[in-house]
Amino acid sequence: MPTATAEIRAQKNFADWYASTKAKSLRPPLTPEEEARPFSKYYYEEIPEPDPVHLGKMDKPCDPALAIEPHQMNDLLNPGDLDVEIGWCNLENGAGFIANRIIYPEITADMIDWWFAWHALEDLRYRIWYPPQHGGIMVSPEARKRLLDPAVPFAEKNWGQIHHVTEDCNCGMENIDINFLSPTSFGFDTSRFKEPFVSAFAGGQGWAVTVDKTDMSITAPAMMCHIFRQHPDGLEHRTRFWMGYRLSNGTPELSLPPGISVPVEAIQGLARHNVKEFTRFKYFLPRIYAEFGGRMEA
Amino acid sequence: MAIKLMAASRRRPGLTRAEYQRYIEFYHGTIARQERFKINTYVQNHVIDGAFGVLADANHQQVANRDAVVELGFDNFRDMMETLEPAVPSAASQDGKFFADECTNIIVMAEEEEVAVPNPVPSFNPGLGIVKGVGGMKVLQYIMRDDSMFLEDYLMHWRKAHAFAMENAPYAKEQLRRCVMNKRCRINDNDGAARAHFKMVDPPVYDLVVSHWFDTIEQVGAFRQYFEAMQAYPTTFANWSKSFYLYTRQVVIIRDTPQDA
Repeated sequence: MPTATAEIRAQKNFADWYASTKAKSLRPPLTPEEEARPFSKYYYEEIPEPDPVHLGKMDKPCDPALAIEPHQMNDLLNPGDLDVEIGWCNLENGAGFIANRIIYPEITADMIDWWFAWHALEDLRYRIWYPPQHGGIMVSPEARKRLLDPAVPFAEKNWGQIHHVTEDCNCGMENIDINFLSPTSFGFDTSRFKEPFVSAFAGGQGWAVTVDKTDMSITAPAMMCHIFRQHPDGLEHRTRFWMGYRLSNGTPELSLPPGISVPVEAIQGLARHNVKEFTRFKYFLPRIYAEFGGRMEA
Repeated sequence: MAIKLMAASRRRPGLTRAEYQRYIEFYHGTIARQERFKINTYVQNHVIDGAFGVLADANHQQVANRDAVVELGFDNFRDMMETLEPAVPSAASQDGKFFADECTNIIVMAEEEEVAVPNPVPSFNPGLGIVKGVGGMKVLQYIMRDDSMFLEDYLMHWRKAHAFAMENAPYAKEQLRRCVMNKRCRINDNDGAARAHFKMVDPPVYDLVVSHWFDTIEQVGAFRQYFEAMQAYPTTFANWSKSFYLYTRQVVIIRDTPQDA
């Protein structure tokens, strides 16, 4: 009988995975099996610091009148820039808004599609992305089957699947369930999904709660959108988060109790985390794709 | 309906089931009509019978008694919160202690998903139903997820198990008039204050409550056949010992006539 691959051995059932997340949140040293993985060297790399001007744009909130709400997401398909491409704020209704943009000279849409599927299969794949704040990742057995199914294109492997990540977005380690969706399910007008205005998309609905969850902990919803288009200097990555929103039967709905706003610390924390993890991404993805790209196994 | 709150309760000490059901229909229901807030629909499901766990269990592994399940529907989450937690406590929220054993309540905030059935009856509703294709007997099935199962796989397996059961339970396939999945919404995780208010200690969490409609109570044997078939589904996705189902009579407290009717 053939031995199960590392991608299969990584599978835990729900109870065992959930019980392991506190330990993962402490970012323990790599296990001997992880050390032996061919991509473990990336875990030990020096992490590049973000451009201080870029990160500095996350120091203070932007004008909420210039932000877009989720029902305006199709504005991201228009040529040109929106009023806020880098910034964050509380919207008037209490929701949290984040915009970020990074240009990747050496990254292609194929790399994006591959990475967002490939990294979900093992804790270490997620940890090497941003070791200072990424604790681990898990998918369900059925999601793993889909990710490993060669008949499903990379761009579609995550559609309808949930990544269970353990991550610190500057407010402490959280378990975040990210339900990746097709652009149509997310709410985009995909009749407008055409090059050069859209080259790739990864997004969905998230729920985040501290790894030290108690009865009174808040499980917070957010909509996450990473959309990519061609730019004279490379691939342009535009991120939007709408914190406090959930998708209800396909429609964005503000899900904050009356009078409650998403805390400023949570919005700014995620904004700064986003700049840092995707700065690392910019320099790291072309190299790891050259080694492992185009296939799910390693 | 965007979101609804389902509350399964049992009667407080000293009340008979008939007294409890009379109270919630004629007193508690009237309060809700008078203080409607942003309730879109309000349906009470009065329990006639039910079963908790399965025959293989030697003992019950849960509170084995429910007398009603009420369903409050709202257009959105904000409306639900404004109704459940108004600036001044509502009369309805103060009334529960007079009929319910509140610390054993099971609260599910759910989003609905309609499941197609082979034989909906468009207009034949003998006896109780006035809504097309619904039927007069409603079975509410609370299905506890197996601890090992991820929620997303649990829902996928329920769909497969439902199809499997329908194929292997011909009487159910013939008689089931309507089926609705009530999927627990993650926003439900934030009900800590409500649990504290009702002194609920570690209440069970049900990720799925399925509503099944049959014409009359004469056809509930069809549900029994369906349930036995579902348990034979080869993948363990549910903890049947901690699951239960209720045969109920639906009592509409608030449901406006559609404006386009």
